[in-house]
Amino acid sequence: MIIRDLLAVATGNLWRMKLRAFLTISGVVIAIAAFVAMLSFGAGMQKNIAEQFNELGLFSTIQIYPRGARAANHTDKAAVLDDHAVAAIAALPGVQLAYPFDEFSVTVTVADTQITTEAQPLPTVATRTKAFSRLLAGKSLSSDSTHEALVTEEFMQMLKINDPDSLLGRQLIVSVKVSSLDSAVARVPQSMVETIDERAREIRFDSLRNKHYLERIVRRELQIAMSGFVDGFMNARATVSDTLNICGVLEGRHGGPLRIKPVVFPIRTGKRFSSAGYSGDPIDMFTSLNSGTLFASSGDTTGKSYPKVTLNLDQYADYESVSDTIEALGYRTFSFAKEFKEIRRFFIYFDLALAVIGLIALITASLGIVNTMIMSIIERTREIGVLKSLGADERDIRVLFLVESGLIGAIGAIFGILLGWTISRVASAIARIIMERREIPDMDLFTMPPWLVLTAFLFAVAVSLAAGYYPASRAARVDPVEALHTE
Amino acid sequence: MDTPWIQTHDLCRYYRRGPQQVRAVDGVNLSIDRGEFLGIVGASGSGKSTILNLLAGLDSPTSGSIDFEGVPLGSLNRRQLAAYRAHRVGMIFQSFNLLGHHTALGNVELALYFNDTPHRERTRLAAETLKRLGLGDRLDHRPGDLSGGEQQRVAIARALVKRPEILFADEPTGNLDHENTRQIAELLTDLNRQGLTVVMVTHDLDLARQCTQRMIRMHYGRLAAPKDPAFGGGTAS
Ligand SMILES: Nc1ncnc2c1ncn2[C@@H]1O[C@H](COP(=O)(O)OP(=O)(O)OP(=O)(O)O)[C@@H](O)[C@H]1O
Ligand SMILES: [Mg+2]
Repeated sequence: MIIRDLLAVATGNLWRMKLRAFLTISGVVIAIAAFVAMLSFGAGMQKNIAEQFNELGLFSTIQIYPRGARAANHTDKAAVLDDHAVAAIAALPGVQLAYPFDEFSVTVTVADTQITTEAQPLPTVATRTKAFSRLLAGKSLSSDSTHEALVTEEFMQMLKINDPDSLLGRQLIVSVKVSSLDSAVARVPQSMVETIDERAREIRFDSLRNKHYLERIVRRELQIAMSGFVDGFMNARATVSDTLNICGVLEGRHGGPLRIKPVVFPIRTGKRFSSAGYSGDPIDMFTSLNSGTLFASSGDTTGKSYPKVTLNLDQYADYESVSDTIEALGYRTFSFAKEFKEIRRFFIYFDLALAVIGLIALITASLGIVNTMIMSIIERTREIGVLKSLGADERDIRVLFLVESGLIGAIGAIFGILLGWTISRVASAIARIIMERREIPDMDLFTMPPWLVLTAFLFAVAVSLAAGYYPASRAARVDPVEALHTE
Repeated sequence: MDTPWIQTHDLCRYYRRGPQQVRAVDGVNLSIDRGEFLGIVGASGSGKSTILNLLAGLDSPTSGSIDFEGVPLGSLNRRQLAAYRAHRVGMIFQSFNLLGHHTALGNVELALYFNDTPHRERTRLAAETLKRLGLGDRLDHRPGDLSGGEQQRVAIARALVKRPEILFADEPTGNLDHENTRQIAELLTDLNRQGLTVVMVTHDLDLARQCTQRMIRMHYGRLAAPKDPAFGGGTAS
C-alpha cells in the first residue's frame, strides 16, 4: 500500500470511531499544549535575556576588578587598578576601550532643591558605548572636560520631575565633601595626647612584664590612634563644588551591575573631585590601603586606584582569551558572555525540566493511544482477516495500524501546538498587564521558534508511533483463518 | 503425464484442542486443472473449509505440500504468499465478510489496495465489476442495506476485481434463499465458462451437481469417493 492509501484508510478508520479518536487525540492535544507552552516560556526567557544583554552591549564588555585579599593565590601581589593599569589594559590586543569606574557621594543642587546622591565620572568614549547611549532626552557629553553632566531617570525620580526635556540645560551644582589625609594623620597625636595623663596614671608599670597585660595596653593605645585617624578623616572635610549643565537624560536601569549612577560627568571634570582627596567612602579608603597607595601624596591621581574597570572588546575579539590575559595580570574579571554560557547551561536544564513535565503528559496520552488501538484491533479482527485474505501481508497491517496511531499523534500535535500557542499568548497578555502595573519594562515572556514547533510535532508523532507499535504488531499477527471465522 | 496446475501432496492440517488432536485435513492428495470447476462436498467438520484455506495460502499445512504451477507454496515467504493471495487467488465466504463501514464500491476497491493497482484505476475497475454483476445502482450502498444475494454478489465482485486465476468459494450460497442460490450458481458457471478456475465448497449436492464438472467428497479430513455414482469421474488423484 502506498502512503496516500494508508493515510486515506487510516483517516477513514479514525473517522469511524470519532468519539474515541477525539478523546484519544484530546489527550495528545493537552500534552503537546503543555509541552509547547512550557518550552515556549523557557525559550522566551532565554531570548529576553540574550536580547537584553545584546542591547546593552554586554556580550562585548568585560568588567575587571582588583583581586583583593580573597584572591585564591595569596602569594601573588594583588595587582592594582590605577591609571597605569587602565592604560596597559586598553593597549591589549582585542580591546577597543577601557575606562575606570569611580564614584562619589555628591550633593547636587538644582534650582532650589538639594539632594544627596552618587555620581560617576566617565570618558566621552564610554558614553558612546551601548551601555550609556540610551538617552531619553538631549545628547551625550561633548568632551572629557566640558562642564556638562548626564543625569538618569533615577535622578528625575528623586527630584520628582516627569519630563526629561525640562531638565535639559538646567544648572547643576555638584559638591563633594573631601577629606584630606593630612588632617587625618594630624588628628592622631592629638587624640593620643588628649587623655594621656589619665591613662598613664592607670598603668601598673610593675605588671608590664606580664605579656597579656602589655598586650592589652598596646591594643588600647593603637585603638585610640586609629579612632583619631578615622575621626580626622571623616570630620575634617573640605567641599569642592562645580557647576555643570545638564546635557542629556539617560534611561534608568534599576539595580545590579548595570546601574548607572544618577549623575554622570566627564572624566577630566571629575578629576577635580577625585584629586582633591578621598571621597569619604570607606571602601575607597580601604582599596587604597590594600593597594598601598593610601599615603601617596594627595592631588596625584596616578596613585589613585579604581574599584572596577570596564573594557569594551573589538567586534571580533575573543572574550575568553582577553579575560585570560587580564586574569594572568592579576585581576579578577567578569564577563557577561561567560556568564551567559552559564545561563545557557542553566536553561538547558530548565528546558529539560519543563520538557519532562510535558513528556509525562505525553506518556499518559500515549497510554490512551495504546488502549484505543488495542480496542480497535479487537473490534476489527474480522477486518484484518479480510484484508489478509485479500493479499495484505503482516507488514501492510502493521503499517496501517502504525499510520493510524501516528495520525492520532500528528493531529494531536497540530491542535496541541495551536492550543499551546494560544495558552502562551493569553499568559503573555496577562503577564504584560501585571508587568505594566509593576512598571516592569514590557517584554514577551513566550516565544515559539520553528524548532520548538517542529520538535513538538516530531515528538508527538514519535511517541504515538511507539505507543502504536505493540498494538500494530498484535494486529499483524492476527490469524486470518480464525479472524474470518468470527461472526 | 503433465504436472497438474495445482497438486497437493499428503496435505495435513492438524489442530490441537487441549490434549486432543483434530485432524481437519489428513493426507489429502488432490490435483486441480486450470479452467475446471471443482466441487468439494462433505459433512460438517469434514475439513472442507480448512483445505480451501490451505489452497488459498491463508493457512499453512502441518505437513505435506501444495504445488502451484510446480512451485511449493511452502517455499514462499510471507510476502510472496501475500502476493499470491493478492494477485492469483479470489475468495468468497458463506458469511460474505464484507466490511460494514465501507460502501459496496469501497469493499470491492479494497481488493485492489494490495496488488499495485493505481488509485484512479481502482475506482473504475471496482465500479465496472459491480456493474457487470448487476449492482451498478448499488455502488454507494453499504452491505447492511443490501439483500443477502446482493451482498454475495458484492463479495464475488471483490474476489473478481483483481482478475484472479482461481476462485475459492466456501459455501457461497449457504446463507441464501433458493432464487439467490440459483443466480449465484449461474454466475459462477458463467465465470467458469469464461475461463476462471473455480473451487466451490458446498453441502448442497444439487448445487454441486448443477454446476461443477468434478466433485470430491471429504470425510473426516480425507478424500472419499463421491456418494453419488451418477456424478462419475469424481476421483481423488
Ligand atoms: N481453529 C481451529 N481450532 C481447532 N479446531 C479447528 C479449527 N478450525 C477447524 N477446526 C476443526 O477442524 C475440523 C474441520 O473444520 P472445517 O471448518 O474445515 O470443517 P468444514 O468441513 O468446513 O465444516 P462446515 O461444513 O461446518 O463448515 C472441525 O472438526 C473443526 O472443529
Ligand atoms: Mg466450513
